[in-house]
Amino acid sequence: MASLVIMPRQGQSVESCIISEWKVKVGDTVAEGDVLFTYETDKSSFEEKAKEAGTVLAIFRADGDDVPCLDPVCVIGASGEDYSSLVPAEGGAEAKPEAEVKAEAPKAEAAPTAATPAASADGKIRISPRARHLAERTDADLSKAVPTGPNGRIIERDVNALLDKGLTIAAAAAAEEKAPAAAAPAAAAPVAENEYEDVKIPNIRKVIAKSMHDSLSNMAQLTLNSSFDADAIQKLRASLKANAEKLGLANITLNDMVCYAVAKTIGGHKDLNAHWLDETQTIRYFRHCNLGIAVDTPRGLLVVTVPNADTLSLNEFAVQSKALISEAQSGSISPDKLKGATFTVTNLGSMGIESFTPVINPPQTGILGVDTITRRVKEVDGKDVFYNAMGLSLTFDHRAIDGAPAAKFLKELSNNLEHFDLLLAK
Amino acid sequence: MPKSQFIDPGKMLAPGFIKFQDIPVNQYNKTLDEELKIYGKDTLMRIYRDMATIREFETMINLIKTQNAYNGVEYSYPGPAHLSYGQEASAVGMAYALDMDDFTFGTHRSHGEIIAKGLSSIQKLDDKELYAIMKDFLGGNTLKVVEGKEEIKGDVKDLAIDFLLYGALAEVFGRETGFSKGLGGSMHAFFLPFGIYPNNAIVGGGVPAATGAALYKRVNRKPGIVVANFGDGATGRGPVLESFNFAAMDQIKQLWPTTEKDGFDGGLPILFNVFDNFYGMGGQTHGETMGWDMLARIGAGVNPAQMHAERVNGFNPLALIDAIQRKKELLLKGEGPVLLDTVTYRYNGHSPSDSSTYRTEEEIEAWKAVDSIDTYKKKLIDGGVATEAEFDEIYEVISRRMTKICKLATDDTLSPRIDLDKNPDTIASIMLSNEKIDKMEEGREPDVLMPMEENSRVKKIAGKMRYQFDEKGNKYPALKTYDIRDGLFEAIMDKFYTDPTLVAYGEDNRDWGGAYAVYRGMTEALPYHRFFNAPISESAIIGSAVGYAMCGGRAVVEIMYADFLACCGDELFNQLAKWQSMSAGLLKMPVVVRVSVGSKYGAQHSQDWTALCAHIPGLKVVFPSTPYDCKGLMTSALNGTDPVIFFESQRVYGYGEQFHKEGVPAESYEIPFGEPDVKREGKDVTILTIGAVLYRALDAAKTLSEKYGIEAEVIDSRSIVPFNYDKVIESVKKTGKIIVVGDACERNSVMKDMAANINEFAFDYLDAPAVALGSRNWITPAYELEKYFFPQATTIIDAIHEKLMPIAGYTPTYNLTDLEREDRSKKGV
Repeated sequence: MASLVIMPRQGQSVESCIISEWKVKVGDTVAEGDVLFTYETDKSSFEEKAKEAGTVLAIFRADGDDVPCLDPVCVIGASGEDYSSLVPAEGGAEAKPEAEVKAEAPKAEAAPTAATPAASADGKIRISPRARHLAERTDADLSKAVPTGPNGRIIERDVNALLDKGLTIAAAAAAEEKAPAAAAPAAAAPVAENEYEDVKIPNIRKVIAKSMHDSLSNMAQLTLNSSFDADAIQKLRASLKANAEKLGLANITLNDMVCYAVAKTIGGHKDLNAHWLDETQTIRYFRHCNLGIAVDTPRGLLVVTVPNADTLSLNEFAVQSKALISEAQSGSISPDKLKGATFTVTNLGSMGIESFTPVINPPQTGILGVDTITRRVKEVDGKDVFYNAMGLSLTFDHRAIDGAPAAKFLKELSNNLEHFDLLLAK
Repeated sequence: MPKSQFIDPGKMLAPGFIKFQDIPVNQYNKTLDEELKIYGKDTLMRIYRDMATIREFETMINLIKTQNAYNGVEYSYPGPAHLSYGQEASAVGMAYALDMDDFTFGTHRSHGEIIAKGLSSIQKLDDKELYAIMKDFLGGNTLKVVEGKEEIKGDVKDLAIDFLLYGALAEVFGRETGFSKGLGGSMHAFFLPFGIYPNNAIVGGGVPAATGAALYKRVNRKPGIVVANFGDGATGRGPVLESFNFAAMDQIKQLWPTTEKDGFDGGLPILFNVFDNFYGMGGQTHGETMGWDMLARIGAGVNPAQMHAERVNGFNPLALIDAIQRKKELLLKGEGPVLLDTVTYRYNGHSPSDSSTYRTEEEIEAWKAVDSIDTYKKKLIDGGVATEAEFDEIYEVISRRMTKICKLATDDTLSPRIDLDKNPDTIASIMLSNEKIDKMEEGREPDVLMPMEENSRVKKIAGKMRYQFDEKGNKYPALKTYDIRDGLFEAIMDKFYTDPTLVAYGEDNRDWGGAYAVYRGMTEALPYHRFFNAPISESAIIGSAVGYAMCGGRAVVEIMYADFLACCGDELFNQLAKWQSMSAGLLKMPVVVRVSVGSKYGAQHSQDWTALCAHIPGLKVVFPSTPYDCKGLMTSALNGTDPVIFFESQRVYGYGEQFHKEGVPAESYEIPFGEPDVKREGKDVTILTIGAVLYRALDAAKTLSEKYGIEAEVIDSRSIVPFNYDKVIESVKKTGKIIVVGDACERNSVMKDMAANINEFAFDYLDAPAVALGSRNWITPAYELEKYFFPQATTIIDAIHEKLMPIAGYTPTYNLTDLEREDRSKKGV
């Protein structure tokens, strides 16, 4: 029997995905596990593989289409099979749901035993209030629910079925982490025939645009610049690198060390480790630092989050941040790992930038820019001494914190970095 | 169908003629000298004062309506004003001869009658009694406004006139100090302490009620007569004609017991007094809309006494007084009912918006030329009884008084309206009285024919099994089983032996024992006047019960099939339901209407009309379907003071008690209104039932459990109004799914209403929207096809499968999908 392939739901907050590229066309024969199409959320990209072998009978959505999660995208079945009953109705919500049409027949099929998760013509999950409450309480992964209620509605027993199988969101996230990284989409640029080309703004760009624009238009941001003597951390870094293999350490970078220092320092500056919540007119202070790290990926800027960074050792931090950065760059990272940062570090130092004004990621209240290292002179005991100065650019939201306390943070941070050995000892 | 009366074919088939007697027409011919001798000057002048007072009252309202001002008092009154300008002599003549024990009922055009009866009562009451009445009324709130402002300081009668006019006008203007706290208004004003019973805005609506008041007097041997005042147009209405017959039915004189010791027996003491002003709104009854030529002729068609009908000149107050006195005498002798055709004329239109397009100016002028007040005054002046100046003096007092009253009644501080901002529940609190009164009259033994324990039915019931199953779970034989009929019988019988005012009537109640044998055995226990067969007159049955209750009695009346509720719509929905609240709680309405819901008898004998009754504010509605619930709810209904529409199902009259394992108690007990009952516990889905569908729901629950492992909780609503959702919500919290089932056609049904409420009250707990399942929006087909119409166990499971929780392995029989139902709605079915 022909089966419907739907747009999977990736994470609770994702409502739709864009089909990046079809890897098959109607009439193709596919084996189980063959990639049918690649698709992207606003932050990641994925592959959808065939769950069964067969012939591609129909494709409902084209490359670049923004498809609501759980909406049908194609049909796989036996060649020549009638799949008309699986064709999605036009016009979404106005269309009569499938189940009702079937019930017209005097001998309607018995209780629905659909094996595929809930999908309705308008792409919304249909779920009873009772089932929704239960799912919220229990963390059940509704994207895996098989609706058995009338009109394709998820009802209480369907959520209980998920729980019986252990299908929770946490479990799904864990599984995703293990999934092989999707190939980065090689966006084939169309050949420009004119002076310019119009490219549809990718989802990820739209998200960045909105976030950055909201940030600048809604906050009172300003940036403080300072620098510190980086000799100590450079020396330490050289030593760590030399002994990495022997001690079983990760490749600890200068950036890791700055991040580590931020995580250890920010606890004393709660206004910067906070969320400014306009809707409820509250400031949420965090007990731990979930440190966001801005990552330049082929698809655009992503911010990965190292949870509870203040509780990690320098090596642990380095291990975790590397894994996250790698996932982000490959495009396979779960959207859930791109959320929840309480403060962010962004590094343009490798590009030779001496100072800049990083833009805060709302609803955070601050972001630290790490600048390049320059050679400077300072007077020590009446003599001019050269040293390596690393710049720091702290942008903060003046609504949440005033200039002096922000400067104090920067000063303490610099101090900790200059005396990194003492920081490690803490 | 009394066996004592033999229908002799020899007599019935014998040739002969029906003979009529002459009906007197305007035969009054007393001279002024005779009249002066009868009444004396003071009384004759008082009669003038009363007529002029009414005219001034109506003039005032007319000026307020049309010019927003009366004698310098400015006021805007948007409400109704059906004035009787021209009919003053009729009102005063009608009221003059009446005593405190005599009750009047009126119409939308009854300001004049209220004032006339009020003035007559003030004249007859002694000062002490009169003052006590005013002081007690509404805690003295009405009196407070006028006291100390009377014409003659310290004169109780003068104060009482102010009180009467003010109470009436404040009521017209919707003030809290009015006779019904402003909740009745112009068309429903009344004042019981003066014997003024409710006026009625439905044409003819007060006539069955007045008949019931006469029934109350006759059954309970109370003194006085009842005057039903209404217009000539009302004789076109069925309830009025039903009332004529109800009052005249042979049994009252031929079969009801007579006792010498009390003042009267015989026919109902009711005077149907028609203010015959020739127009029903604009329809001309003489020559256009009616065929009787002279209204008094109707009497000849009602009974051999021709209702002692007479036409009398209502423009002459003394002619009418004479007629009323003669008729009252007849009534007190037990010769009722009486019909009086009181000829009168209204100069103003039906209402201020009526420009009298249906009559000529010439006609109005011709009647004004013989105006009752002018003619009366001229007669007394010409006859040397009084001078113009004496009349002027009387009028001046009236005018001054009326100006004062108008000022008081339009003053928002002295005459406030009910404050619904401060007390938003004021009206809600009077919609139902919710009192418990064991007997409506203390200190009188109920009339019965035998001790209750000697009654054959009572003895038979004593030998019955009060729980349907034996220890092994086997059913007892039907004849040995205490059933719903027995439960109803016991509750009503108990009350018959407790409350001396209780009467029960309806079609085929006596001898037959009610069409469904609920009353079997009662005939031998109860005298005719407490338990009788009514004519096939649903309006008169319900309407008379309303009047019976207004006077302080309690009644159980029966409508044989729910379908027949349509025959007494006004009496149920405008009268029975509304008088407690329209009287601001001054009246109680302890009436139980037993309504039987049929089946097997097709489209006009199988309808469940609970929704119609539940829609109308002011009624309690119940539909129990087990012996235990029927007896307990009937007892509550009979102990209460509210109108209860008591639905019964013909499907289950013979059912024994299946739920109350201790058996139905032999003693009296109450089941509170509004409390549903869990008849079967379950955890997966809730079925809430209305009426006898309970048993089909239990069948469905059995199948669900046995075949599909689904445990349904079945809740019997028992009551519809009031209804406490607590137990239902509790169940929904457990099951998450609910279907509300009943036998009524589904559209706008009680099931729909309850399902909608549950969706609102329990949204967060629901696993699917609450489903309402009723009968198809069709006519009821033949018995053999009923399964396609009424919900069956199969239909209930289908609905659960299609609407709440698809059941693995179940194949539905009927299509109940949204698509199908939307389509039906489009087609109006």
